[in-house]
Amino acid sequence: MEKKTVIDYTKYRIKPEQEIRDILFGMDSVVLLWCKKCFSEFTEEAIDECKRVIEIAEELNIKVIECKGIDFLCNNYHTERALKSVPDKGCIGVISCGIGIQYVSGFFNGQVKILALADSIPQSGNATSVEGYHGIALGVEKCAACGQCYLEKTGGICPVVDCAKSLLNGPCGGADKDGKCEVNRELPCAWIEIYKRLKRQGRAIGEKVDINDYNVFPVGEKGEYSKANQEKRRVGFYGGVYPLEKKEETDTIPIKVFPAPDKLTVFLSQHIGTPAVPLVKKGDLVKKGEKIGEAEGFFSSTIHSPISGKVIAIEDRTHPVSQTPQKSVIIENDGLEILDSSVEPLTDWQGLSKEDLLKRISEKGIIGLGGAMCPSSVKLNPPKSVDTLVVNGCESEPYFNADNRLMTEMPDSIMKGIEIVKKVLGVTDIIFAIEDNKSEALESVETAAKKYQGIRVEALKTKYPQGAERMLIKKTTGREVPEAGLPFDVGIVVFNVGTLYAIYRAVYEGMPLIERVVTVAGENAISAGNFIVKVGTPFSDILKHCFGINEVQPKYELRMGGPMMGFLQKDIDSAVIKGTGGILMLQKPPVDISEENICIRCGRCVDVCPMELLPYYYVYYGQKKLWNEMSEYRVNSCIECGCCQYVCSSKIDIVSLVKKGKKSVNNKS
Amino acid sequence: MNFEEKLKSGKMVITSEIGPPKGTNIMPHIKEAEGIKDKVDAFNVTDLQSSVMHLGSLATSRLLAERGLEPVFQITCRDRNRLALQSDLLSASVLGIRNVLVITGDHTVLGDHPQAKPVFDLDSVSLLKVASGLMKGKDMVGNELDGIPEFFLGAVVNPGYEPQELQIMKMEQKIEAGARFFQTQAVYDLTSFESFMKRVLPFGAPVLGGIVLLKSAGMAKFMNKNVAGVNIPDKYINMMAAADKKDRPKVSISIAAELIKGMKTLCSGIHIMSLGWEKYIPDVLEASGF
Amino acid sequence: MLITKVKEREKIIAALRNKNIFVFKCFGCKEVYFPEEEIDSLLEEAGVKNRVARVDYLCREEFAEKYYKKYENILKDAEAVIVFSCGVGIQVLAKILPDIPVIPACDTHYINGFQGLTAQDADCQQCGECWLNITGGICPITSCSKGLLNGPCGGAKEGKCEVDKNMDCGWVLISERLKLLKEEGALHKKSTNIRDYRLIIEGGKRSEE
Repeated sequence: MEKKTVIDYTKYRIKPEQEIRDILFGMDSVVLLWCKKCFSEFTEEAIDECKRVIEIAEELNIKVIECKGIDFLCNNYHTERALKSVPDKGCIGVISCGIGIQYVSGFFNGQVKILALADSIPQSGNATSVEGYHGIALGVEKCAACGQCYLEKTGGICPVVDCAKSLLNGPCGGADKDGKCEVNRELPCAWIEIYKRLKRQGRAIGEKVDINDYNVFPVGEKGEYSKANQEKRRVGFYGGVYPLEKKEETDTIPIKVFPAPDKLTVFLSQHIGTPAVPLVKKGDLVKKGEKIGEAEGFFSSTIHSPISGKVIAIEDRTHPVSQTPQKSVIIENDGLEILDSSVEPLTDWQGLSKEDLLKRISEKGIIGLGGAMCPSSVKLNPPKSVDTLVVNGCESEPYFNADNRLMTEMPDSIMKGIEIVKKVLGVTDIIFAIEDNKSEALESVETAAKKYQGIRVEALKTKYPQGAERMLIKKTTGREVPEAGLPFDVGIVVFNVGTLYAIYRAVYEGMPLIERVVTVAGENAISAGNFIVKVGTPFSDILKHCFGINEVQPKYELRMGGPMMGFLQKDIDSAVIKGTGGILMLQKPPVDISEENICIRCGRCVDVCPMELLPYYYVYYGQKKLWNEMSEYRVNSCIECGCCQYVCSSKIDIVSLVKKGKKSVNNKS
Repeated sequence: MNFEEKLKSGKMVITSEIGPPKGTNIMPHIKEAEGIKDKVDAFNVTDLQSSVMHLGSLATSRLLAERGLEPVFQITCRDRNRLALQSDLLSASVLGIRNVLVITGDHTVLGDHPQAKPVFDLDSVSLLKVASGLMKGKDMVGNELDGIPEFFLGAVVNPGYEPQELQIMKMEQKIEAGARFFQTQAVYDLTSFESFMKRVLPFGAPVLGGIVLLKSAGMAKFMNKNVAGVNIPDKYINMMAAADKKDRPKVSISIAAELIKGMKTLCSGIHIMSLGWEKYIPDVLEASGF
Repeated sequence: MLITKVKEREKIIAALRNKNIFVFKCFGCKEVYFPEEEIDSLLEEAGVKNRVARVDYLCREEFAEKYYKKYENILKDAEAVIVFSCGVGIQVLAKILPDIPVIPACDTHYINGFQGLTAQDADCQQCGECWLNITGGICPITSCSKGLLNGPCGGAKEGKCEVDKNMDCGWVLISERLKLLKEEGALHKKSTNIRDYRLIIEGGKRSEE
């Protein structure tokens, strides 16, 4: 990898030595906190300047009790935890920019003397705007955030930042013969540069007199923006992102049945765990609902035929998740929909024992439909006792409405599913969580829930990844699932609404999981909507029916799953599996910038990681293949929600590095 | 006739400069001005020239006015925000000062208080516009004034500045904003000054050509190196270098006279920046045929 | 990293309706006050469908170069480029496209405390000479609307700033904090604090005293 240079926009440097001596003079002991810096190259060890402070302290016979480096000291959420282990007696020397120092001072609020041992480094050199901000990605251009952009008139060269006097109406006349600024002879006169740029474009300097308005954005209002921004980031759970929801395309479209395809590709691996073992061979005739794959062991699930017809092959096809060839049963549809005899309705399920219910559910191949694809039989048989069922109706991926429509149209069936799970698990509390952007679904679920006891419906503020189990549990119950733990460790089981509907059908109708609701949406759709699609339906059928095309057009990409966590599909012969919540046609990013870029420590990933991890360490260690270090930074806790990658200012494929890291860490252990 | 009327009459106008002292000892400067008041039509009073802290130009302007000398009150945008600038303009008016020369001003870091906060809330163009607004009875946000000032507004232009186009552009903007006369940076090259004047003649604003008396060859070289738009030809530098120390004023006067004679036909007047050599101004004018 | 607000809607729409324009909309800071939906509705209203590049982190020159290469052919004939981004992005693009007028469609505002992470209550204006040692860890420059270094101006009413009644007077906060620290004597000091703006003008060089 070519070494790219990072412009160092470190925000602080230690104060002059004499000043540090004066500040430290007379102290007995000191705790040092230093910020690991932002917008600069990665450093693991205490910075040299910090070492110098320790030396000075030692010279003055001041005991340095502790020297602690903290990532992004200004991130009050993370820093608060780090500060809890810092003794609140004596004094604390802080080496950071002014924000970090003020945060630490505020945290101890007068209990401890805080010593500011560093000065901020001014970012701008000009008269009227003492601030001056580089972009989030580092370049030489700066913006003074004057709130009245003049760049149109000045050929895209900023007179506020680049002119030492921030003149808006032409040069002061002080530039020397080489066109250099009178204040700094190394810098070109901004107005000469502006003049040249405009001349090149055949334009002249503006006709009207510009006068800056310094009150565009009143003092108090700035603080309110900061507060609102923080609140947005902290609501419900720490971090998360707000991608455009894009749900309006299909959120009011009722669920329709997708035409049964001529040929189906039914994968034997549709769940996490061991693939099923085929029970059929080429040439066999199968009926709708007939078991064609047997679960292999406890962590596995059975597979059924979604149609009646003939097995024409058992062969490898590109799996939509792994994107590698995987064994699938190819069935030719005879169009007769002949039901298998195992599909038997059951009216009095209440008469069944917990064990019989569990058996019926696992026989019907039910798995979690929220994306995790965990066999439901595993979840319904937890090794520890649980008291609460959380129903996940969040569906926080953009575009998706499959769960939304299901909740709107079939709330009673979902309630019946809940009743079944309630009996199997023996739970008393049920929390039905829906994001507040689904008002119709919320209303219909609230109405349906009134008929049942102990179901609390909760509307949550929309934020991605609300639907992730840990976030949901924390938000709805306040309980925190331990690292490397599962929900049952805190007495909770989470079920997606789609799964509950499938459980309802399995128990009431005897129908195995052979079809599900899928949202099809995206660019140039001729028939977007929410469809009941048979498992095994090839993507090519969906392309034809919903987009009117036979192949993916060059500027677009086909995804199974959402833009955040979905999987890019390279092969349209791949097919719908039980875990498919949506099929999307999205515009390709205009330019591929996926080559490895250097992390600039902008800290945005730390800001959004809902697991409260420090994802940028995965970049640093992952690129160096230092798996042990990755493990120390809790890579196994990552839920691969993609928030970090979504905001990464260097466009680094962090999730891939995490996946590699997890694999290597877990292979070793 | 006052300064404005003289300029309008087409008479060749002569102005000079007073730099208030760092301190209160202003009277010697006033006396010097009084000594040449018959030769000079108006006196510029500099406003913290070169960003060095001095006695104020407003007070000095008033002292001149009291004695029947006509001041040109220089005001820069470096040290005052828009409130103070407007207020000082009103003050000037009640103190009987009409002529105001509006300048952006040198940057604070160039002066003797580099730690100072530079203001530059307005610049020369916008301040001219604001001053014009005051004359129409409104402050810059549109509030009515109780008592309306009257000014004769001037501005500066630097003919030797590169690219010249930019100066001309800004000169037009200044006229648009209310400048009624211009003073130039020191002129040493008559050919280029002539071509500059040809460009700006159609604007119709009177221009006073700038004269800085050379004190030595070293000063000339320093100005060539450091002062924007100043290009002193080698022949003048050589003349200064060849002269004995005691003869330098004489040589300098002859150079200035040569330049003034050349400028007479090109512009409306002469602005002499004597930089402490006020005593030679009568000689300069005499040598130039005034 | 800054707050970006769309300029006057009508003017932008009028500009967008010109035929030979090209639009860049940058969503790099998508999580920090970027009016993404507003921009999309604006483009829709102006009827702009093609000739729009949705990009990330335009402020990053190497990315911007790639975007330019991608649209080079269309850009060659464009009369103007309309850019939805913060001031940094606009400048970077203008540098890459020196022959085409670049029209900013947004104004950029500053957000308190944004030093790389979520905006904070506490703010640092990067004055280059930290005063926090004498003010109990509360910054007088950012918490006082006048940035006064030698005590309050006297304009605060009930502890609220005269500039904005929703804002605490920074010097009231400082005096409270100093009391907790038993350092209120610091308020009666004889020395006068004066800022050195040279630090800012010269870009943060600090000489050893």
